[in-house]
Amino acid sequence: MNGTTTIAEFREAVLDPAKRRHYQLAWLSTVDHKRIAVLYMLTALVFFIIGGVEALFIRLQLAVPNNHFLQPDTFNQLFTMHGTTMIFLVVMPVVFGLANYVLPLQIGARDMAFPRLNAFGFWCVPFGGILLHFSVLAGGAPAVGWFAYAPLSETPYSSSPGVDYWAVAIFVLGIGSLSFAINTIATVISLRGPGMTMRRLPLFTWINFVNAFIIIFALPVLNAGLAMILIDRLLQGHFFLPFRGGSPVLWQHIFWAFGHPEVYILALPAFAIVSEIIPVFSRKPIFGYEFVAASSVAIAVLSLGVWGHHMFTVGMGRPLDVFFAISSMLIAIPTGVKVLNWTATMLGGRIRFDVPMLCCIAFLIQFLVAGLTGISHASVALDWQTKNSYFLVAHFHFVAVGAIVFAVIGAIQYWFPKMTGRMMSESLGRWTFWLMVIGFNMTFVIQHFLGLLGMPRRVFTYPDLPHWGWMNMLSTAGVFFMSASALILVWNLATSFFRGKGAGDNPWDAWTLEWATTSPPPHENFHALPPIRSRRPLWDLANPDRPDPIVGENSAAVTLPNHNKIGILSFILSETGFFGTLILAYLYFYGRPEAGPGPKELDVPRTLVFSVCLFASSFTFWRSEVALTKQRRGSMLGWLALTILLGGVFLVGQGTEYWKLFQTGVDLSTNMFSTSFFTLTGFHGLHVLLGLIALLIFLWLAWEGDFASDRRESAFKSVGYYWHFVDVVWVFVLLTVYILPLVQ
Amino acid sequence: MTTYQFVTTAWTWNSILLTLGAVAFVGYFLAFGQRGRPLYFAAAIVLFLLAFISPFSVLANGYLFSAHMLQHILLVLIVPALLLLSLPRSFSLRPPLTYLTHPLIGWIAGVSAMWLWHAPTLCNAAATSRTVSAIQTTSLLIMGSVFWWQVLAPREAQRLSPPAGIVYLFTACAACSVLGIILTFAPVSICPVYQHPVDQLGILSTIRGSWGLTSDRDQQIGGLLMWVPMCAIYVTAILAQLARWHSSPQPEQSNA
Repeated sequence: MNGTTTIAEFREAVLDPAKRRHYQLAWLSTVDHKRIAVLYMLTALVFFIIGGVEALFIRLQLAVPNNHFLQPDTFNQLFTMHGTTMIFLVVMPVVFGLANYVLPLQIGARDMAFPRLNAFGFWCVPFGGILLHFSVLAGGAPAVGWFAYAPLSETPYSSSPGVDYWAVAIFVLGIGSLSFAINTIATVISLRGPGMTMRRLPLFTWINFVNAFIIIFALPVLNAGLAMILIDRLLQGHFFLPFRGGSPVLWQHIFWAFGHPEVYILALPAFAIVSEIIPVFSRKPIFGYEFVAASSVAIAVLSLGVWGHHMFTVGMGRPLDVFFAISSMLIAIPTGVKVLNWTATMLGGRIRFDVPMLCCIAFLIQFLVAGLTGISHASVALDWQTKNSYFLVAHFHFVAVGAIVFAVIGAIQYWFPKMTGRMMSESLGRWTFWLMVIGFNMTFVIQHFLGLLGMPRRVFTYPDLPHWGWMNMLSTAGVFFMSASALILVWNLATSFFRGKGAGDNPWDAWTLEWATTSPPPHENFHALPPIRSRRPLWDLANPDRPDPIVGENSAAVTLPNHNKIGILSFILSETGFFGTLILAYLYFYGRPEAGPGPKELDVPRTLVFSVCLFASSFTFWRSEVALTKQRRGSMLGWLALTILLGGVFLVGQGTEYWKLFQTGVDLSTNMFSTSFFTLTGFHGLHVLLGLIALLIFLWLAWEGDFASDRRESAFKSVGYYWHFVDVVWVFVLLTVYILPLVQ
Repeated sequence: MTTYQFVTTAWTWNSILLTLGAVAFVGYFLAFGQRGRPLYFAAAIVLFLLAFISPFSVLANGYLFSAHMLQHILLVLIVPALLLLSLPRSFSLRPPLTYLTHPLIGWIAGVSAMWLWHAPTLCNAAATSRTVSAIQTTSLLIMGSVFWWQVLAPREAQRLSPPAGIVYLFTACAACSVLGIILTFAPVSICPVYQHPVDQLGILSTIRGSWGLTSDRDQQIGGLLMWVPMCAIYVTAILAQLARWHSSPQPEQSNA
């Protein structure tokens, strides 16, 4: 670029894909799902190394009894950062990256439904990661565990800003995950290629699609909880502090209502990978596609209602314990069904023991162990004995590493040829695999026994009791095998990228659509799609004399739903979870006797008047929409302006309510009622404000005459859905906060 | 009164209900003859009667919120489902009633059957007044049937498509779970009658003592019943939708 380049020329170069390639910005500004996917995975790799080094330090500290290699507080910071990093910055980005790469290809789509939202979702990861790690410079990393139990995570007990950084970082990462989930749902529903009906989706796509719904429901619950803990810490709120009338148990409920589904958010993509690799390397279609597909739905729904098994030792009372124990055990059924399907797929197959398949076999065995120890935690009495011991550490590492990491290593080896056009080294892959098998089992099998011998978890050191010393030493020794395995994996990735042998389009003789295009795929993914009549289009193509039975009806003529609509509805679904959590939190404290202001201070009649304004604005927006459809510009502008006016009046009304309360000395930190009141109504007000900004942008665009094409109309309608949703939320807030005290 | 005495003696042989049951059974055969599926109908009648004549109904009638909840679930979800399953394939609704077959009406009926009757005033009234209780029972059966119609209507064409059915069931499940969660964790009594029952049978000390059901625990169990087992019913129905989806007819190979 010489000195005479104008901004216009620069813009043109960046906006033109052919020219943009010459710019180093290409990877930073990309909205191509394949590049974003690679960025996701590379970011995950960086944090995997960081989290792995943290694990190494933890195990070095625990290698011998009475060790003082690390200070207790450093140890706490390390295990907090290790857990948070591995879950939010390693496993989630890597499984999102895989889905991001493979899913659009598998359904014959050109890209994800919202490419820019996709880029936004990715950039949340490095941003969140940097925020989290910045805490180290800002007075110390969080030292409260990845679960941040209150009241330890509250200001009186953790006064350094570590927890604040942690909460904000996780909030940002949660928003990134939600945008990925919204994008996935819209892509699968709206962007499938001709012939790719929902019943013909490859299992990898189907399971990731189901997983997106768990994300939509679970992440907002966490975000609501994080908002509450930040309000406690930064604005002197009362939510989780017992001496201010709050409830630390509520934090646990909120955290685990997210935390348990989170286990499945991490595990379902691993199931998706295994369901894809095992059939290909067994040279058989998956045994019982329908059962694998349906059991994923069962797992997803059940996972949302079993979080209590993380809290048996809290003392929730026997009724809750019993019900949560039963519902937790139920999850074993669909999970067991899956294991049966995978095993039966291998039965009688001509199995090729390449690295991806080896990883899946190790996954099956280790996941079985993880599942069995998992069921033992569903039993309340057993859980009381083992919960706070290394038995539990062994259990969840069998899930997280033994199952998920192994599946991911298999997936990388499997899809690397598609992404780069080159094969990964099979021999280095075997080194990675075997060292990981040895190291992982050496580290974690023994921890089951350590736990049963009574070694507690979350301790920085331990006394020299019989057997504890050598068991811990063995466990630490395993970490070095795992580190070697990881280093070889990185070496393999680097050398194969430059010198691996050419892969061709379909090196594994697989059957799903991503193998129908070149490796790496062109920018637009496909030049032409093969006909799709079954779940294995490439098998049908290669074996025209004995194709798979046709699945379902051909629906080439069916128009798929608009992706804007699906996207905004998914977003609204997630917002429902957020407000649902806030309303339930309000009700959790409602009716508990306390001194100070209560619902009786509120001005109900005036609020009702302002509420009518808000509800009326839904009507006026609808009129504006009708006017847009009929191309009556003036009428549309008028109704839209009136909508904005009514929304503004409502905000002013809420403002006067707040003003009156402030005048009488009531603010967020006064008591439990004021904390939950201001939080709930405040977040609603914030959403109204954001809706108003969106409407103002549309007013401006409409004023400029920007509403000629159909595309704009669907965008306008999408904002409308959001605006109606904000009104509906107010119905529930109004009922909970203002009407409920009247009827009692 | 001991538990044994209670279980053996507290049956209420309500002649009106028994007659109603018999009349319904005869009516069923007169209306549908051989075309129906009488086993489902018999199961519905038996469960309905059990809910009202067994000792269980005594408990639900002012002693235990949790027993009331079980009765509630039986009347909204189980009995109406069995009734719809017992209908012959030829069955259709006549014009004024066809309004009830709109999915939104069905959803609202199913969810409000749970929410409406747990408003403290209504819940109290139903537990103390026989008239209100009768109204409640009737309304629950009707609302339950309207809800299930979308999923269990006699003919395929009258039902929601499987994906829509999954959304319908899941959202209904979520809406009811929220109420279950509120009941489970509410610091106050939702249905105050059950806090201090009028102990006509002298059974209260057994309930509170040897069964260990304090009024707090009782309400928790009630909420949990609405939350967990009820969701299990919805999840089963969702799985049935998936099975229906995947088993819908395959076109002939030659169509390709």
